[in-house]
Amino acid sequence: MTLTAALPTYGWSQALADLGQISPIATLVGFMLLAIVADLVIPPKRRSGVVAMIAVTGLSYSLGTAVYRWLYAQGGPAYSGMATGDSFALFFDVLFASLGILTVAISHSYLQKRGMREGEFHILMLGSIIGMMVLASATSLVTVFLGLELLSIALYIASGFARDDNRSQEAAAKYLLVGGFASAFVLYGMALVYGAAGTTLIPDIAKQVAGTAASNPLLTLGIVLMGVGFAFKVSAAPFHMWTPDVYQGAPIPVTAFMSVGTKAAAFAMIVRVFAGGLPHLAPEWQALLAFVAATSMVVGNLMAIVQSSLKRLLAYSGVAQAGYVLIGVIAGGKIGLAAVLYYLFVYMFMNFGAFAVVTLLAGPDGDRDRLSDLSGLYRRNWPMAVLMTIFMLSLAGFPPTVGFFGKLFLFTAGVSAGYTWLVVLALLMSVVSVYYYVRVLVPVWSTTARAEPLRASPSSTLAIALSGVLSVALGLYPTTLLVAAQFGALPFGGP
Amino acid sequence: MTLTVIWLLPLVSGTIIAFIPPRFAKWLAVLVALVTLGISAGVALAFAPGYHGYQFTEQVPWIPQLHIFYHLGVDGISIWLVVLNALLTVIAVLATPLTMRNVNRFIGLMLAMSAGMAGVFLAVDLVLFYVFWEAMLIPAYFLLWLFGEGERPARAAIKFVLFTLSGSLLMLVGVIGEYVFTGQQTFDLAKLATIAPSANIQFGLFIVFALAFAIKTPLFPLHSWLPSAYLAAPTPMLVTFAGVMGKAGAYGFLRIAVPLFPDPVGWWDWRWVMPALAVAAIIWGALMAIAQRDMKLLVAYSSVSHMGFIVLGIFSYNVQGQQGAILQMVNHGIIIPALFLFVAWIADRTGTRDRSALAGLAPRMPVMAGVFTIVVLAALGLPGLNSFVGEFMTLLGAWERAPVLAAIGAIGLVLAPVYMLRMFQGAMYGEPVGPRPSGDIQAGQLALVTPLIILMFAIGLYPYALTQLMTSVAQAGLYR
Repeated sequence: MTLTAALPTYGWSQALADLGQISPIATLVGFMLLAIVADLVIPPKRRSGVVAMIAVTGLSYSLGTAVYRWLYAQGGPAYSGMATGDSFALFFDVLFASLGILTVAISHSYLQKRGMREGEFHILMLGSIIGMMVLASATSLVTVFLGLELLSIALYIASGFARDDNRSQEAAAKYLLVGGFASAFVLYGMALVYGAAGTTLIPDIAKQVAGTAASNPLLTLGIVLMGVGFAFKVSAAPFHMWTPDVYQGAPIPVTAFMSVGTKAAAFAMIVRVFAGGLPHLAPEWQALLAFVAATSMVVGNLMAIVQSSLKRLLAYSGVAQAGYVLIGVIAGGKIGLAAVLYYLFVYMFMNFGAFAVVTLLAGPDGDRDRLSDLSGLYRRNWPMAVLMTIFMLSLAGFPPTVGFFGKLFLFTAGVSAGYTWLVVLALLMSVVSVYYYVRVLVPVWSTTARAEPLRASPSSTLAIALSGVLSVALGLYPTTLLVAAQFGALPFGGP
Repeated sequence: MTLTVIWLLPLVSGTIIAFIPPRFAKWLAVLVALVTLGISAGVALAFAPGYHGYQFTEQVPWIPQLHIFYHLGVDGISIWLVVLNALLTVIAVLATPLTMRNVNRFIGLMLAMSAGMAGVFLAVDLVLFYVFWEAMLIPAYFLLWLFGEGERPARAAIKFVLFTLSGSLLMLVGVIGEYVFTGQQTFDLAKLATIAPSANIQFGLFIVFALAFAIKTPLFPLHSWLPSAYLAAPTPMLVTFAGVMGKAGAYGFLRIAVPLFPDPVGWWDWRWVMPALAVAAIIWGALMAIAQRDMKLLVAYSSVSHMGFIVLGIFSYNVQGQQGAILQMVNHGIIIPALFLFVAWIADRTGTRDRSALAGLAPRMPVMAGVFTIVVLAALGLPGLNSFVGEFMTLLGAWERAPVLAAIGAIGLVLAPVYMLRMFQGAMYGEPVGPRPSGDIQAGQLALVTPLIILMFAIGLYPYALTQLMTSVAQAGLYR
């Protein structure tokens, strides 16, 4: 293959078309640059809130663009097949932009309370969201890695954002090291797959792999290495060790953000690479993921029981939840992937909401995330107590909250695909999970403690209330979101 | 719309009532409960007997992707439980003392629980049934935990929830399995009853469903949550908690476990295992009741024994047995709340629930003793009162199935007078011992149990009025 023949002309019209395909990302990049400039130019005294406003505006624009393209534009490959603006990417763009808006809403008052610099924080969040969106749009292994690093590097810095807090520094260092490991694993795996398939473009990999008859050890090893890296990123056991420490050390808004965002982005990556690139080797990666899912559900749920820190408890609950979602990925197909997308979307509201309530408890000296710090929440701020109850019941999977319907869809897909044993295990472990989720509610509703009222800023209240309402509403009326999730899963619809 | 109102009205008003001042809360709740009772009774009166199938159906697509419908309906099995639930809710709300702390929250949660139970009986879509089944746990948990009596109500509450959930979460596998393995992709209970998966799959699905229902009923040997939960539950809650929620398990057997899994498999035929467990529950519950000194616990264990008769009737697989079971569900729902109310009133007047610490109450509380006699006689199955007919029919059904089941089950009938009369005679007659009661029961309290007493006589003397409207699974032709 000669280079000259392969190089097409790249004109303005093509450039605009490509940019259009990734316009939710491009919009956000523009606003991030604007935020950086604003943070530099505006004097510190007047700066308060401006960067946050720019971030919210940018995220809203990005959200609007994604919705517009979802409704009216034809998604397709861009940049010679390196990225795409298909419905799968747009679904995640909406998810990440919404998550970003929620994060900004809860972090403004938190950063002020703890005396942290606001500008950098929001800029880092924007950078990380851009990385997540790139990841969801990636159709080449190179772009996948680009997105993965972009999202991670911003988060490495963000988790060490509490500079005077040793635990935050420790979290950042730990996250950097472990994250580097994970990236190396992914990169090794990608290299091996490239070696076997001769291309980094995911659709082409699928075609190449379909052609080879016998099982290729290079590909198998590539799958295993990438699978390990992905499991690190979704914080699935046995590669979850970093999660509790990093979640605990990082400032809570960062924890809230990455507990949902990183997980969703990593699942997007798994679906893109495994379901998109290696559908013909499904039995191999399904077996690997089934093992990881089973371990996650057991380890996450059992370890969560003994935690006394809310952040660690929610970290282990996140490990378990990753296991549930993996069932949908393994089941695959239209039902399975739609269930995955539905669950990730609603997981944003219930998990973020829970962390957001903990954010309110923070004091100037640090985060207060002991279980006992929640005591008397009902007397301190009863709407927050009700909302926290909704989040916990939803995470535990009680109807009529979204947590139940998400599980119903995931498990229906799992049983349909013949993974009944995995579903039975998931439900048995769900019984365990009820114990620790309810344990969080005990201090919330305890009648003995009496404490000063807990004030919540209007934006935090709005974000948490919205999460709470959607945690119920999207369960009572799941149809629209489920249709959207099915449409989002369409590029991988398969049989 | 009628059936929707029956569960939605208590739920919505319960949510509102939780946040209004206590004084208005109670009377608004009474009003809501009365309206619900009126609508339920109206449905029962307009109910067409002999019609095989669901009546008053409402069907709206809910989650079309998975063929899940918001589908409600009543038939000869469920309508009686719906009415019973509405009636007991009225009594429970009336029995709630205004002196209780956060009484508005309590009543709000009570209405929410009542709404959940109504939904369980009304739903004819398997997922909808499951949603109500799980959702009713949430208010029940908060009621037990936040308003529970005794030393560690939180412990009893979490024990109850974990016990129930370990059954019902596994039931979700069964729900999904019915959808997948029947090959029809439907959650419609009527349709599912006409198609059955292979016998081996039925075996697995039956186990998960039966486990959930057996825990809820509760059936021996899965009843260990019951004593602690019933001890912790405040009396107004027990009226519906013991009176209705226990029936949800038996109802599940009748609605799902019997018609959906007709084919027995191999060495482990549940058609014999289930009645054997039921007989064991009858005997075990009675023996445990005899051993209790705390009257609340005594009544709780007697409930285990009585639920055994119901399950025995259901798994007799014939018309007499199943009709008797339905009748007995209603009867038990009438008697148990009355027993718990009397125990609570005695405890309130004397300060103790220990039956051996009390004696000679009858001369000091003549009205109470008189009415209590009727309840106790009904509970031990005296002919002429309601329970006799139901228990007789279940035993008749069991006899047709296998005489040995009826023979052993009948021992429960012999044991019932032992614990009931021992408690009654010991506390009521003889030389007055123990704390002096502070007075007889009040007129309001008497009025509270009057409807229950009337029903005990009415059903006992003319059971045909109810049974002619009841359709057993066997009659409906769902059972093969």
